[in-house]
Amino acid sequence: MADNGMEPKIVAFLCNWCTFTAADLAGTSRLKYEPNVRIIKVMCSSRVDPVFILKALLDGADGVLIGGCAPGDCHYSKGNFYARRKVALAKKLAESMGLDSKRIRLSWIPASEGPLFARVVNEFTESIKQLGDNPTKREVYI
Amino acid sequence: MQTLFDSRMTMADFIAALFDKLEVAGVAAITKLPSGEKTAYTLLADKDDIEDCVPYFPAMPANAARAVSKLTREAPPSKQVAVFLRPCELRALTELVKIKQALLDNLFIISFDCAGVFPFQEISLSDEAKLKAYRDAVADGKNCEGIRPVCNACTRFVPEGADIAISFIGRGLDEPLALSFPSEKGKEAAKILGLDSSDNVETSPALETLAEARKKAEGELTKKIEETLAGTDGLISVFDKCISCHACSYACPICYCKNCYFDSQTFEYFPESYFARMGEKGALRLPVDRVLFHLGRLSHMSLSCVACGMCEDVCPVNIPVAQIFKTAGTRAQALFDYIPGKNPDEPLPLLTYAETELEEFED
Amino acid sequence: MTALDEVNMDNEVSMNKGIWIEGPVKKGILEFFSGLLSSKKVEAVLMPAKNKSKDSYAWFLMGKDGLLESAEPFPPVMTTQGARALSYLTKKGTAWKKTAVVLRPCELRATIELAKIKQVDLNNLVLISFDCPGAYPLEKYFNEDQKELDEIFGACLSEQVELEGARAVCSICHRFTGRGADIEIGLMGGEAKGFWLIPGSGNGEELLEGVSGSKPDNLEAREKKIAEATIQREEKRNNTLDSFRETVMGPENLMNTLSSCINCHNCSRVCPICFCRECYFDSKALSSEADNMLQRAQRKHGLRLPPDLLLFHLGRMTHMSISCVSCGACEDACPANVPVSMLFSLAGRNTQAVFEYEPGRSIEEPVPYKVFRFEELKDFETPYTKEYAKEQ
Repeated sequence: MADNGMEPKIVAFLCNWCTFTAADLAGTSRLKYEPNVRIIKVMCSSRVDPVFILKALLDGADGVLIGGCAPGDCHYSKGNFYARRKVALAKKLAESMGLDSKRIRLSWIPASEGPLFARVVNEFTESIKQLGDNPTKREVYI
Repeated sequence: MQTLFDSRMTMADFIAALFDKLEVAGVAAITKLPSGEKTAYTLLADKDDIEDCVPYFPAMPANAARAVSKLTREAPPSKQVAVFLRPCELRALTELVKIKQALLDNLFIISFDCAGVFPFQEISLSDEAKLKAYRDAVADGKNCEGIRPVCNACTRFVPEGADIAISFIGRGLDEPLALSFPSEKGKEAAKILGLDSSDNVETSPALETLAEARKKAEGELTKKIEETLAGTDGLISVFDKCISCHACSYACPICYCKNCYFDSQTFEYFPESYFARMGEKGALRLPVDRVLFHLGRLSHMSLSCVACGMCEDVCPVNIPVAQIFKTAGTRAQALFDYIPGKNPDEPLPLLTYAETELEEFED
Repeated sequence: MTALDEVNMDNEVSMNKGIWIEGPVKKGILEFFSGLLSSKKVEAVLMPAKNKSKDSYAWFLMGKDGLLESAEPFPPVMTTQGARALSYLTKKGTAWKKTAVVLRPCELRATIELAKIKQVDLNNLVLISFDCPGAYPLEKYFNEDQKELDEIFGACLSEQVELEGARAVCSICHRFTGRGADIEIGLMGGEAKGFWLIPGSGNGEELLEGVSGSKPDNLEAREKKIAEATIQREEKRNNTLDSFRETVMGPENLMNTLSSCINCHNCSRVCPICFCRECYFDSKALSSEADNMLQRAQRKHGLRLPPDLLLFHLGRMTHMSISCVSCGACEDACPANVPVSMLFSLAGRNTQAVFEYEPGRSIEEPVPYKVFRFEELKDFETPYTKEYAKEQ
């Protein structure tokens, strides 16, 4: 594990039906995972406007995680297909405009997969630690 | 390539014919203003008023798609109205139709291959030297010095989807008009204007040469912008002068929202928030969300960005907005294989999906 | 509605208080703020500073440890109008911590106007202003040698002469001192050797307590100099506006003046007074059907699109000219170089005169639209009653 003493702040937008439930399950199953995510519950991953992602990154979040139901399993039947397009757009724009698109992660985590949620969080936290602080965090001139 | 016909009409004859033969109730095009210096996009409803019409005048005082949207959004005209649009304006109009901000009913769309425009502040009717250079460049099929950087790097300068398209490049602005009629409506018009295969003329080879020059310029522009935008520092320096006036979004044909999200209550914070953020960083720049505005606006409209250049024309602090948006827009559009304004039946990328796609964006 | 006679408009400034601080002005001012912050008399300062690329200025809210070295109380350009910056900060409530705000005189006046229409909350703020030599047009500042311009500006500031190459509206400014602020930074009459800090309110007095400096002995000379300059500038303003009026008189001249306008409404977006989130002139109220526009085009031999350009400018005048402080932000932001600020200064001068109103003079003075007197403005009524009485 890269231990540079950094405690990343990760904003996680989780869909109500799958990934948030998985996070809940991880908690009730007393699974240990990195404490770096701040969870914002949304009804569907497609609610996440690319602006939310960009706003978090510009205001100093080290990473943004978007979690939704697996393709085909969306509670609203096709919301996550739209979400994937939106996240793809956000990543592409971030990359075009000089932000690091590796700070954005889209993962499908079904409701029953508490352990998977813990694993994704750990993995993402680790990769963010390797990237280091988001330079926007202390940037006065942004 | 569409078949070209020699109409043997001057621009004035052609506009008169629109009223006389095609029986339009109005024509909207760039027109000289009484001051004799400037031009404006103007709706004319009388054949006697067309004298000052100069549809090809190389300035874009407003993106005409925005004007046509204002004209038709509430209710389209009940009689035919002919509208002159540059290729980028036509693409913007097509995008606006997709988002229901303009209606095409009873519009007769006339476009032309476009040699670009000057920044509107820098050209007036009395700038004879500049206009002469422009005329020469059109006739020779070359890029004219002084046109806007995005025009210089525009590769989609031949109209797509017009009812009548005029070909200027390689022929000249003052020659009898060479017309093509891509649509069904256009073909009807050709019959009414009495043009048939005996009037066919060759497409000018200058179009190809210009296309190559433009492609090269586009590559250079992309490279230049990508270099300036490297990393967070690049991003900040590019928008460092921005005064958050949001003029770019107001002039943008695609940004149609009456109350922009970035001017909404969502981005007004309680004083506590400002002071807390000042506490974290030591100092806080006001207004906040200045860079977010540009990135966010990109996320809202870059897929439909037609690189018309209006944003850069109106920026009071000379930020190369259009060049940045063209570069980022092109990359975003490539993601969905989408070309804004090309096909009116193609849905906006964010309003559709495929079940298996973009898997490289999942982790 | 309130009857105007009930309002107290007493706005006298106490003449004999204040502190004289000798030495370089900018350094002295920054030390003053640094002292205020470290003694916790204020917990934040809002003032301009250079941007990251050092080629422009922006507003910064600065805390104890954040007073930027590049802070610039007297910037040579107006990027965002200060009242607008302050409105972002306090529109939704009182400043969380006591904050000192450094504003140009016109920004101060706009702030007071915005406070009247509840777009700025003045509580917990200490407003500080100064004798302003004017500002450069943004375009000039970005296209010419900035170093040279900065030097000229510095010289004009310390010599207290009008800025060479200033914006048109600055060159006719007649309210160029910080009068009305909680603390007025006095430069005029100081002969470049230092500056005064003059309290304009109890709030200001409190802040100046314990600030080291000498007692002012020559404030009267300053007052005299200001009075003289004011008379001179008022005359210049009136003459310039009168001759400008000649060039825009009549619909044809007015249209010619506005002929390069592209109807982008950017003037209203940067105007500190135009606070509406959705401008009336962008609203559905003014949109119409295509057939209607065709009729207008026929009747008027052409209809400019987007329509209602003249209505926008005249309408905006009805909405804000009474509060127009002639700050010039509109003209700086105009992409088409329309002399917007002159046009609005002219309209403002004339509409304000009707109500003997001076925007930003005093927070106690209500906006003319919101009050009335029982007997007033008879000149604007058509006296038909006499004739009518005769007929009866």
